[in-house]
Amino acid sequence: MKRLQREAPILVVLLFALGVMLFPYLWTLLASFKTEAAINRPLALGFTPTLAHWRAVVLESSIPLQARNSLLVGALTVGMALLIGAPAAYAFARFNVGGPGLRFSMLAAQMLPPATLIVPLFLIMYSLQLLDSLLAIVAAHLTFILPLTTWFLIGFFDDVPRDLEEQAMVDGCTPWQAFYKVVLPTIRPGMTAAALFGFVLSWNDLFYALLLSGKNSATLPVGIAGFWTFRGIEMGRMSAAIILAVIPMVVVSFFVQKYLVRGLGGGAIKG
Amino acid sequence: MLKPPLTFKHRLVLPLLLSLVLILGYPLAFSLWISLHDYQLTAIEQARWVGWAQYFTILAQNASFWNALGNTVRFVGIAVSLELVFGLLLALLLHRKATPFRHFFRAALLVPMFVTPIAVGLMFRFLLNSQLGVVPSVLRALGITIDWFSAQQALITLALIDVWQWTPFMLLLLLAGLESLPEEPFEAARVDGASPLQIFWHLTLPMLRPTILAAVVIRMLDAFKVYEYVYAITRGGPGESTETIQYHIYRVGFLYFRLGEASAMSYILIAVILMLVVLLFYALRRESLSQR
Repeated sequence: MKRLQREAPILVVLLFALGVMLFPYLWTLLASFKTEAAINRPLALGFTPTLAHWRAVVLESSIPLQARNSLLVGALTVGMALLIGAPAAYAFARFNVGGPGLRFSMLAAQMLPPATLIVPLFLIMYSLQLLDSLLAIVAAHLTFILPLTTWFLIGFFDDVPRDLEEQAMVDGCTPWQAFYKVVLPTIRPGMTAAALFGFVLSWNDLFYALLLSGKNSATLPVGIAGFWTFRGIEMGRMSAAIILAVIPMVVVSFFVQKYLVRGLGGGAIKG
Repeated sequence: MLKPPLTFKHRLVLPLLLSLVLILGYPLAFSLWISLHDYQLTAIEQARWVGWAQYFTILAQNASFWNALGNTVRFVGIAVSLELVFGLLLALLLHRKATPFRHFFRAALLVPMFVTPIAVGLMFRFLLNSQLGVVPSVLRALGITIDWFSAQQALITLALIDVWQWTPFMLLLLLAGLESLPEEPFEAARVDGASPLQIFWHLTLPMLRPTILAAVVIRMLDAFKVYEYVYAITRGGPGESTETIQYHIYRVGFLYFRLGEASAMSYILIAVILMLVVLLFYALRRESLSQR
């Protein structure tokens, strides 16, 4: 108790920050249960809750389809990024292939402004007749998630002691077997964190998805972006859709946090 | 075998390099080629070589481009400096062992950086809306009227939304930086009777400088890409007051179909970003050298 009293001013600052952070979600969550009339009176305290918006969003809108698209795009992107990125990250960490230049070009690549890549990607997808396909979005997302995943994993491979593979090879493993049977399992937390973080970035992207998708391949951000602009003001439904898009990210964030610093530090910090 | 066999380590990297050439190298080269042509989406067959004139015209005559670039620099400046201040404050509070519930606060306060930016934009458009919004309503009840999306205010409002979403990222990196600092100098300073403010100013801040630099550069590069808030809330308006560079390129390329011009702008953008990063590193380095 005494400690709490002494720490009261700090607690007040932190609680204030927490309030500022939580308020938009809580308000949006409330709005998703309000009638349009109640939404129009922001200061009225009481309201009769309604499930109409949730019913409309889940049963009648294209939001579930778009959520499925987002899920597929995210899973495919992350799967490919790990498959291609993990062996390369291992080679960067262990054998220093390409030197620091190649390492840091991973960091530079994922910082390219999407505006630079969207024009050629759009034209390439157009000529391959891949516009309005999930594949086009996956390819666009790989442009930043593949380098990021590779960069992210370098740090985790750096932390694995070399004795591990050496012992495995003494026991008769080929270098490849030593990699995927011995080293890879030890960095499972790093792989999971990289996968989840990559998934977050893919799930959150609007820019590429907006320009490369169409009616069938629209992802969730494209779907919720359409609420305010094309169908007039549908605040209640928009709120429900926002909450649907946000909840998975909030849950994922708690799993990723612990490994994020190691991952983002990537190839820059020797473990 | 005709080719010398690739060694194990090269075979590990090969898929990555091939993929990057395919999805980054080729598009970048294609984009450079487009940027040297009068290339309209509506008349791709009639693409005409214009060469570097495309770049000169943008740099010399395109007021909208410069306006968008200026808006973006202002947006980045306001957003990143506030994020640094708030992030540092929160990091210092959460670094103290005595702070109650610090692990809970840390986990909770990091959440916004993971949340879909378009959803964040729409939430704040709703919250700050002059008729429906709770924030203007409460302020009005207190006798304060702010038009959050007026021509003077809108860009600042967008920057504040960025602060809401990305201060957690600063917090994350700065807290990690604080945790990696050695204990001894701080203990010595306390034994010598230094005040907390002196310790912060003469020890924490200088020792944290590399982390601060890295965090600021990463945030700046990311903030330059701002698009979702503009798309969700203002679409560049009122007038062109919130037109950021990424949004401007989107508009020129995909609403006016002038792909050649859009590509050239995006290359100029890369050059501007590179220059800013180099300047920043140079400035901070000189400052830290002059302190020694």
